[in-house]
Amino acid sequence: MIEAFQSLWPFTTRFLEVSTILLLAAMGELLTQRSGVINVGIEGLMLFGAATSFLTAQTFDAFAGFLAGTVVGAVFGLFHSILSVSLKVNQIVSGMGVWLFAMGFVTYWADRYTGPLRVSIPKIAGLTPAVFVALVILVALWFVLNRTHFGLKTRAVGENPAAAEVSGVNVVRIRYICTTVGAALCGFSGSVLLLSYLGAWSHLPTKGLGWLAFGLVMFSLWRPGILLAGSLAFGFVWQFAISPHTIFPGFPAPLPVNRMLPFLMTIVVLTIISTESFRKRWALMKPEALGQPYIKE
Amino acid sequence: MRSADSPNILEVKGLVKTFPNGVVALDHVDLEMKRGEIHAILGENGAGKTTLMNILFGLLKPDEGEIYLNGERVVFHSPIDAINKGLGMVHQHRKLISAHTVFDNIILGHPRTGRIIEKNKLRAEIEELCRRFGFKIDLDARVWQLTAGEKQLVEIIRALYRGARILILDEPTSVLTPPEIDGFLQSLKAVSKSDITLIPFVTHKLPEVFAISDRVTILRRGRVVKTLRTSDATIRSLAEDMVGRELTFELERPLVQMGKEILKVENLSAMNDKGLVAFKNITFSLHEGEIFGIAGVTGNGQHELAESIFGLRKPVSGKIYFEGKDITKHGVLERLKMGITYVPPERLGVAVVGDLSLIDNVLLTYYFEKPLTKAGFIDYKLAKNLTEKIIAEFNIVAPGPGAKSAHLSGGNLQKLILGRVLIKNPKVIIANLPTQGLDIAAETYVRRRLLECKKMGIGVLLVSENLDEILQLSDTVAPIYEGQFVRILNNVNLVKEEVGAMIAGAYSRRGTVYA
Amino acid sequence: MLSLRVPKIKLERIVIISQWRAIRISVYSIASAFLIFSLVLFYEGADPLQAFQNMFSFAFDPKLGLSLTIHRAIFIMFCTMAFIVPLRAGLWNIGMEGQFYMGTIGAFFIAYTFPNYQPEILIPLMIIGGSIAGAAYGAVTGVLRGRFNVNEVVVALMLNNIAFWIVYLLVVGGPWAGIAESSSRPLPNSAHAPYIFNIPFTFFLAIAIAVLLFFFLRMTVTGYKIRVLGHSETVARISGINQVTLFAFAMTVGGAIAGMAGYHMWAADPAFLMIPRPDAYKAIGDLTYWGIIIGLVCLLNPIPTIPASLFISSIITGSTVLVRRMRLPFGLDFLFLGIISITFAAFQFFYNYRLRVMRR
Repeated sequence: MIEAFQSLWPFTTRFLEVSTILLLAAMGELLTQRSGVINVGIEGLMLFGAATSFLTAQTFDAFAGFLAGTVVGAVFGLFHSILSVSLKVNQIVSGMGVWLFAMGFVTYWADRYTGPLRVSIPKIAGLTPAVFVALVILVALWFVLNRTHFGLKTRAVGENPAAAEVSGVNVVRIRYICTTVGAALCGFSGSVLLLSYLGAWSHLPTKGLGWLAFGLVMFSLWRPGILLAGSLAFGFVWQFAISPHTIFPGFPAPLPVNRMLPFLMTIVVLTIISTESFRKRWALMKPEALGQPYIKE
Repeated sequence: MRSADSPNILEVKGLVKTFPNGVVALDHVDLEMKRGEIHAILGENGAGKTTLMNILFGLLKPDEGEIYLNGERVVFHSPIDAINKGLGMVHQHRKLISAHTVFDNIILGHPRTGRIIEKNKLRAEIEELCRRFGFKIDLDARVWQLTAGEKQLVEIIRALYRGARILILDEPTSVLTPPEIDGFLQSLKAVSKSDITLIPFVTHKLPEVFAISDRVTILRRGRVVKTLRTSDATIRSLAEDMVGRELTFELERPLVQMGKEILKVENLSAMNDKGLVAFKNITFSLHEGEIFGIAGVTGNGQHELAESIFGLRKPVSGKIYFEGKDITKHGVLERLKMGITYVPPERLGVAVVGDLSLIDNVLLTYYFEKPLTKAGFIDYKLAKNLTEKIIAEFNIVAPGPGAKSAHLSGGNLQKLILGRVLIKNPKVIIANLPTQGLDIAAETYVRRRLLECKKMGIGVLLVSENLDEILQLSDTVAPIYEGQFVRILNNVNLVKEEVGAMIAGAYSRRGTVYA
Repeated sequence: MLSLRVPKIKLERIVIISQWRAIRISVYSIASAFLIFSLVLFYEGADPLQAFQNMFSFAFDPKLGLSLTIHRAIFIMFCTMAFIVPLRAGLWNIGMEGQFYMGTIGAFFIAYTFPNYQPEILIPLMIIGGSIAGAAYGAVTGVLRGRFNVNEVVVALMLNNIAFWIVYLLVVGGPWAGIAESSSRPLPNSAHAPYIFNIPFTFFLAIAIAVLLFFFLRMTVTGYKIRVLGHSETVARISGINQVTLFAFAMTVGGAIAGMAGYHMWAADPAFLMIPRPDAYKAIGDLTYWGIIIGLVCLLNPIPTIPASLFISSIITGSTVLVRRMRLPFGLDFLFLGIISITFAAFQFFYNYRLRVMRR
């Protein structure tokens, strides 16, 4: 028994890392969406976080790398806020702008340094400390959203900004904070991806994880608890697809089919929750003002 | 001017507000509100109620005039100022977060709430408040689960919890069912007993005005007609004061023999967007050359009725017959092809697309049939000619047929919307608030055109809030109140105040309306 | 006391935007992108004017880069039109990458199944096969959005990733694998795209489609209905226009056009004529996102996409010269895409507001 567990531990640490990456990005987007702003540029934020943290860590150390990645995420979150909240630009266009810019800029900036990280990342029992950080953030996120006045205001702004305004809530300020902090988490997620999981730079390393996180938020009914479950499930499937033989020696299905699984799962789940029976439940949980710019009359 | 024992908690002197388009919304309005009284403000749509309310609550600034609270002059820059000075507003379109609980809604943005929500402490305070006024509400219920009356109660509690001494209520009874109204009136009485002043802004719900208020002020066209004690008035007198005796224009209604029945509505019922009953068991028929006028205040089901007849809203029961055929299940496109047309109550973004040319907008009623479309292609030459014809015939002021419709003024746009329908010579026109937002010239023009439909044998279903319009145009008048036709009357020797009283609910028999 | 007269800038909301203003905004955003790009070049130690001159002279030199420029331009044209049609109806087709992969599969399937057919029959069949595959893929997104109201952006992205792995499955060590295990067998000779005046015939196909789309949107009833729907779902509903069928139709057409790119990309470029290694075909898949930006910049109009695609393609081709000859880092063309994307997004601000300088 213990041997089986021990042999599974490396796999477990890896899939927990993927789950952490997904969880961090999803938590960030959850906060943003709860305030009514949709940010489709998660993949881009993760790219920026990954590239920045990689280059910073190469020059300084791991901690600086993580910090830099988070800060870069925040910067682009602020950019998205300015565009979407203040300038009322279509939120999808703004998010895609950030994503495509990230794709281009990061390729140009970091691809010439393709290769492994020279610094080592500290680990606790084989797990990157980011896992614990993510769990702490999860609890904090839950607490802030449900038990603080700020969280209440945020949720109100995401549902009905006009009603919130009339109650004395500063809608613009709340949206700025949530979008920027949310993006910072996505940047942090990118750093974890690069520094802890991959350990090396390659061309566009995010491989769709950012979009998976986005899908996760949509069907998590915007609740941190379901988000945790979802990221664990998806992290497992993702890692399993990369190395199925650690769990099932002789696993027959070819590698590409496994790699497709997380994406297929997302479509299936999204469709199921959009059917009549679920739609009401989902529509109830969805922040009603999501994606709509708030225009003060 | 300080008088500590002035019985007037709120005074308004010489309030004037003019809008950029030249409309004088408030014309030297003076008001006095006593402490602890329930003082209703009554008036038709367009009388200036909304403007007055918005100024009192800090959403608008007056051009002239002063507001005094407790004898002290106040100026509001935003609703927060008003809230801090003790004014609370209960909005008609509830400003509540439907997905949240009652408790969450009450504490949102409240200064006492602090950083971390101390649920127990705040809860106790709110429960105490409810006990004091005799309010019964489940603090943990989600707002979307509540009835309209309960939602209103939440808004009241929220305002009171923030320390409001004056409550402004915007159309408080407009969405309440009769049993809820009684409960609501009880609550109001309890509140006013605590020396809190209540100002309900009301349109037409005359029975409730009587039940609620101590005094009533009537507004008409931005002016105060009179202020009096409710006990000194009757429903009749109030209706008269609100509506005025004079008719504002004269039009010749051609005497045309009504043709055969083209539209028959039988026991039709439908729900509104909130999932409540909009109208129930409506039955009537429309004949060729007849103008059937549905008179009523918005919110009584007439718009949902118009939408159902056009096919935009599925009825839950009942049938619609067109020229003898059952069309209840038919969609909008099929009804358009049969000759049933619709003039919606709004223009940009509903009836026309602002960014598209006049030609493209005219095509909205022609794209599905010949001759403007042939074999799947649009004949733009013909379309342009048609548009020019409409522009000429309807005296539309426009840069040209290729101009974007957003460049036209409201009146000219409405002429286009009407024109594209009339040129087709349809069988039925459903005209929903056809003169809304138009100036006098455009109004008169549209009305004249609708009258001409009679000579063309078109059946017109007219929905309007303007009694003058209804009485001038209609052959048959059906006042609607709370989703039912009060009567269906021939427009012979009808008295305006009578009809006004009907749409105000004077004839509603509480309890028997919802059979 | 000296008082500084700072002109007060007032933000004015715009209700409707004129065509000219929209065009000006597009032009300004591209110009700004160039400026920013020049700054980057400057930072890298290159003379921007020299760099641009090298870029464009290489890209348009018939002996050097012109054929590549034209080839990539055609590809981008297909992608742009695949984006434009759905967006005219109000749908964001971010799934062109996946539709392109499926188009590749469709076209190659035909080629491998009927390798002995005459080119006159095989090539149209391949194009049709690619279109059908792409159309079906687009239809999935369209139906899920029309019937179930599932967010089309997320679905499209998921499908993109799935399609990538399907190609992988077929090519890398799979039934289509060639001698080098990670790329496919070559296409039969009859599948190669014929050239007219040294230009692959697909160029004329793309132009034909652009012209067809232009007239389709302008002159047909369905095109009209799509335009109305894209402007306002409410007006469409009141006028009896069916949203569900039009959404499905628009996405299907978009997918079909992207699917055609699946034939063109590989069969019309002598450097390929097969499906290459995953990182190579992924790099091409990333190019499909140009369709989004060019589509938006062209204000969803098919005809301007012809010059715009050529222009962008020359930048893509030309930046390879910058990398090689001027020793600039890899990825400059990608960077330019990024810069244009973010500049264009930022310039959207001017759609909503006008800056008025007030004299106090």
